[in-house]
Amino acid sequence: MFLVIIFSLSAFLAVAGALSVTFSKNLIHACVYLLFSLVGVAGLYLTLGAEFVAATQLVVYVGGVVVLLLFAIMLTGGTNLHHVTSRFGLESTPLMGNLRTYLMGVVTAVLLVVVLCNVLQGSMTGALVSENKFSSTVEQIGVKLLTDHILAFEISSVLLLGALVGAAIIARPHRSSESEN
Amino acid sequence: MNETIVSYLGETLGLNFNWLGTLVIFLIASLILASFLALIGGLGTYAERKISADIQMRYGPNRVGPYGILQFLADGVKMLLKEDCIPRESDKFIFKLAPILCFAGVLASLAVLPLSSGFILSDLNVGIFYLLGVTSVVGVGIFLGGYSSNSKWAMLGGMRGASQIISYEVPVTLTILSVVMIAGGLSLNTLVGGQGAYPNGWYLFHNPFSFIGFFIYFIGSLAETNRAPFDLPEAESELVSGYHTEFSGMRFAFFALSEYIEVFVLCAIAAALFLGGYNVPFRLGGDGLLGQLFQLVVFFAKSFLLYYVVIWVRWTLPRMRVDHLMVLCWKYLTPIALFNLVGTAIWMYCFNGRSMYMILKHFLMASGQ
Repeated sequence: MFLVIIFSLSAFLAVAGALSVTFSKNLIHACVYLLFSLVGVAGLYLTLGAEFVAATQLVVYVGGVVVLLLFAIMLTGGTNLHHVTSRFGLESTPLMGNLRTYLMGVVTAVLLVVVLCNVLQGSMTGALVSENKFSSTVEQIGVKLLTDHILAFEISSVLLLGALVGAAIIARPHRSSESEN
Repeated sequence: MNETIVSYLGETLGLNFNWLGTLVIFLIASLILASFLALIGGLGTYAERKISADIQMRYGPNRVGPYGILQFLADGVKMLLKEDCIPRESDKFIFKLAPILCFAGVLASLAVLPLSSGFILSDLNVGIFYLLGVTSVVGVGIFLGGYSSNSKWAMLGGMRGASQIISYEVPVTLTILSVVMIAGGLSLNTLVGGQGAYPNGWYLFHNPFSFIGFFIYFIGSLAETNRAPFDLPEAESELVSGYHTEFSGMRFAFFALSEYIEVFVLCAIAAALFLGGYNVPFRLGGDGLLGQLFQLVVFFAKSFLLYYVVIWVRWTLPRMRVDHLMVLCWKYLTPIALFNLVGTAIWMYCFNGRSMYMILKHFLMASGQ
């Protein structure tokens, strides 16, 4: 019963947030709704007993991706329904909630549903919610990551190294123009 | 070790709760904890003024109640009675949401605060990782608060706040990772339980790397909570009041209160990770109610000591410049934290996880024979 309450709350949060993202006309508002949707998804992971994935969802998406999205929207000009240019004098991005965005949403949704149905085909027949008690998944994930999936782990670390080097090159001060600092 | 407050109460009282009982106990315990931490936040404002007054040789608040201790209640009533102003051109939805996001992020982190071995709302297996996740919501709240105000000062403060919080999460997380490596688990009861009651058993003195790590964590958490010398998001000499310039009344109080509670939470986590947490010397702590009381007292004593240091630092050191702040984070703290991480791993491998004290004891006993 406890789990059912948590599940209902998280599912409501996830679905309502996702719908609000789609139907919101303001890009920043959509971003905030996305935050709620992602928190709801973290709650769903929690009801499935996957604590580590839930916490990772919070750290990566809520702490990282949403802030990144907010920064990106703000620096490229937030949307305001009454102004063509944003409040900082920047040219605003196209408004949300017109035919084009809905079309994009529908196409993405159909694609996702097809992919998900194909992936989940095998597990649809069994029980959807596992009945086992909460057990620590951290150790299992760690062991799997460093044994079976070591190649993917290493490749992603190379990717991250590349991103870091790129960021360092972009942020490097130009020594030729000035010699201060 | 108990997983939740409910399992502890069930064991101590010999009861078995159904789902409704569990829910009710959780709600009551959360209510008690949230009210208590709100009280600590309120008293934090009083302590801040009193200590700052002491440092600057003033009296501080001394009118309301004995020694002015009820000043924070008077402030709270004043905040409630203030007019609730919302700027006309602001983004109203986000303007109303931002203080709540800040407050929600801080309150969510209370769930894993290890006050004693029994009184921890839920000892998640991923406790410290969860804490890192929910405290990052505060950064989103600060950023949105700055953005929605439609004011240049608030905008700059919010941007500084978000970039600062994201940057300083890196060394803090790396330092916590090295402590996790010593303890061998992410749950806070594991992290605290791996330490002894006396300083020789604390993770602070476990090895040289964790000793450095404590200071990195402390500096990083100062920056994450926007405390001086890193209070650039609300630098009153440059940006009127930073991200909460436009907020008035209770909305402002939410920002202020969440800041003070977050400072307490991060001090408590520092006490739990490095200073032995709720381990009581002389074997006074235990699973009984009296033992729990001793554990609570010890834990709060350590946390308040760190809280005092935070306030002390604020009124002693001048504010840093923005570029110096980023230089400190990325060129000094992060490399040192990475070095610590590798160093801790090597220490754990070479000495089989033993602490400096144990190695010294072993060495002395071997040489004595």
